[in-house]
Amino acid sequence: MLRYLSTRLVRALLTICFVVTFAFVILRLSGDPALLILSPDAPPEAIEAFRKSWGLDRPVWEQYVRYFGAIAEGNLGRSMRDGRPALDLVLERVPATLALTIPALILKLVIGIPAGIYAALHRNKLADRMTMLFSVAGFTVPSFVLGLVLVLIFSVNLGWLPSGGQDSWIHGILPVITLGTAGAAVLARFTRSAMLEVLGQPYIRTASAKGLAWHRVVVDHALPNAAIPTVTIVGFMVGSLVAGAVVVESVFSWPGVGRLLVVAVANRDLAVVQTILLFVAATMVCANLTVDMLYGWIDPRLRTRRVAGAG
Amino acid sequence: MATVTDDRIAADPTAVGPPRSRVARFVEAWPPSVLLALGWIVAMLLIAASVEWIAGYAYTAMDLRARLSPPILFGGTERHLLGTDELGRDVLSRLLYSIRMSLLIAFFGTLIAATLGTFLGILAAHFRGWVEDIVLTMIDFQASMPFLIIALAVLAFFGNSLILFICLMGFHGWERYARISRGLAIAANEQGYAGAVRQLGAPAWRIYGRHVLPNIASTLIVSMTLAFPETILLESGLSFLGLGVQPPLTSLGNMVGYGREYLTRAPWIMLAPSAVIVLTTLSISLVGDWLRDRLDPTLK
Repeated sequence: MLRYLSTRLVRALLTICFVVTFAFVILRLSGDPALLILSPDAPPEAIEAFRKSWGLDRPVWEQYVRYFGAIAEGNLGRSMRDGRPALDLVLERVPATLALTIPALILKLVIGIPAGIYAALHRNKLADRMTMLFSVAGFTVPSFVLGLVLVLIFSVNLGWLPSGGQDSWIHGILPVITLGTAGAAVLARFTRSAMLEVLGQPYIRTASAKGLAWHRVVVDHALPNAAIPTVTIVGFMVGSLVAGAVVVESVFSWPGVGRLLVVAVANRDLAVVQTILLFVAATMVCANLTVDMLYGWIDPRLRTRRVAGAG
Repeated sequence: MATVTDDRIAADPTAVGPPRSRVARFVEAWPPSVLLALGWIVAMLLIAASVEWIAGYAYTAMDLRARLSPPILFGGTERHLLGTDELGRDVLSRLLYSIRMSLLIAFFGTLIAATLGTFLGILAAHFRGWVEDIVLTMIDFQASMPFLIIALAVLAFFGNSLILFICLMGFHGWERYARISRGLAIAANEQGYAGAVRQLGAPAWRIYGRHVLPNIASTLIVSMTLAFPETILLESGLSFLGLGVQPPLTSLGNMVGYGREYLTRAPWIMLAPSAVIVLTTLSISLVGDWLRDRLDPTLK
C-alpha cells in the first residue's frame, strides 16, 4: 500500500513539473516576454532593465531553474493590468467560483448517480430510455446554449429570476442548474454503463443463483464494484471545481476564476493566465491523488497488488 | 465483422422466434433516429460544400435599413427568412457560412488528433521501453488537465489565428487515439500476421502502415466519430467566449456569442445557430453510437 501511494505521489509531482515546464516552454516560444509584458515601443533601457530583473539575459537552462525557484516561492508575477500579484487576484475569485461549483457538484451527484443506477437496473424499460435521452441531451447541448435558453425563459419571458450578476443567492440558481444538469447527464451515463458492466459479471449470477435476495446482490456485490470507475469521474469533477465554470460564469457574468481567465486571455495578461493554469493543475493533481487513495480503500486488490502491475 | 453481429443476434434469446418481416429487419438495422441523423449530417455537408451558391447574401453584407428584422414566421419579410442581426446582416446566410466554418475546423481538428494520437500510440507499441514511458506520461498529463484550460492558456500566450486555432483543436483528445492504437498495436504485434510479414523482412513502416493499421482502422474511425461532436462543442465554446474564430469570419459559436447581446430584442440571432449546434452534435453522436454497436462492440 505504501509503495502504491508513493508511486502515485511521485507521479503527481511529475505532473506538476510537467505543467510548469509546459508554461515555461509556451511562454518562451510565444516571443520575447519583455516585449509582451512591456509594450514594443517602451524605451530600450526599460526593456533592458526588465530583462535583467527577470534574468532573461541568462542562458535558457538557468532561466528554467530560476523559473522553478520563483514558482516554488509562490512568486507568480504581477497582473499587467493593475500591477497586483497574480496569485492574490486569483485567490480572491475562488470563493465565488466555489459558490457555484459546489452546489452544482451536489446536484450532479444527487441526480446523476441514482439515475444511472436506476436506469441500469431497469435496462431497456421506459425509465432507462428516458435517462439515456436526458443524458444524450446533456452531452449535446452546450452549456452556453442551455444557459442562454434558461435566461430567455426564466428571466426575459417569465421575469422570475435574474439573468446575471452575483448580488444574492437567487442569482446563483440559473448558473447552478446550468452546470448541474450537464454534469448530471454525464454522470448518469457513466454510472449506468459501469453498473451494466458489473451486472454482467459471473459473480453477480453466482450471488443471485445461491438464492441471495436481489436487493442484497445489488447493494453488496454490484454497487461496490461499480463504484470504482464512478469514483474516477467524480474525482475529475472535484478537480475541476475551480476551473469548471469558465463558460457558465461568462454567460451569467459571475465574477469567478473562470471569468477572470477569459478576461485575462482576451487581454493577454500572461501572469494571471499562468497562475490559473498552475492553480488548476494543482487542484487536479490533489483530486487525482485523493481518488487514488480512495481506490486503495474501495478496492482491496490494489492494497496487495505489486506496484509493477498497478500501472 | 458481419459474423460478429450475427453471433450476437443469435445469442440474444429475444431474437429467437418466428421470422420477422423485411420492414422489421430493416428498422432493426437502420433505426429511424439514425436515418434522420444521417439525413441531417448529409444536409449539413451539402450546405458546407455549396454555401457560395445557396446563400442569398455574403456573410459580411449589411443592410442597415433592415436591422434586427425578425424571421418570416414572426412578422419578418421574405427577403430575410431567418431575420437579420444588429448590422442588418442576413442571419440565414451567416448561418450557412458558419456551418461550413465549424465543420471544417472540427474535421481538421479531429483528423490531426487522430493522426497524432495513432502515430504516438504505434510509436509506443513499437519501441516500448522509455519511448513508451514518455508517451504514457504525456497521455496521463493530457487526460488529467481540463483541455479548455490548456486551450485558453495557449491562446493567451500565442494570440489567435485560424491556423493556430485549428492546430489547437488537433490537440484535443489525441490521448484517446494514442491509448487505443497502442493497445491494439501491441495486441496485433503478438498475432501471427504481423510476425509473418516481419519474418519476410518487411520494414516497420510497412508492417504498421499496410498490415496493422487496416486491422485497427474500424475502431479508430468509430472513436473519431464519437470525438467529432466534442470538437464542435469545444470550438463553439471558445468562439462563444470570443476567443476562437475571430470576426469578420463567422462560426456557430461566434454567432451565439454575438447574438447573446440581443437576447431580449432579437433572440433569433442566437437561437438559429444554437439549434444547428445541438442538432449536429446530436446527429453525429447518434450515428457514432450506432456505428460503434455495428462495427466494434468491444468499444463501450
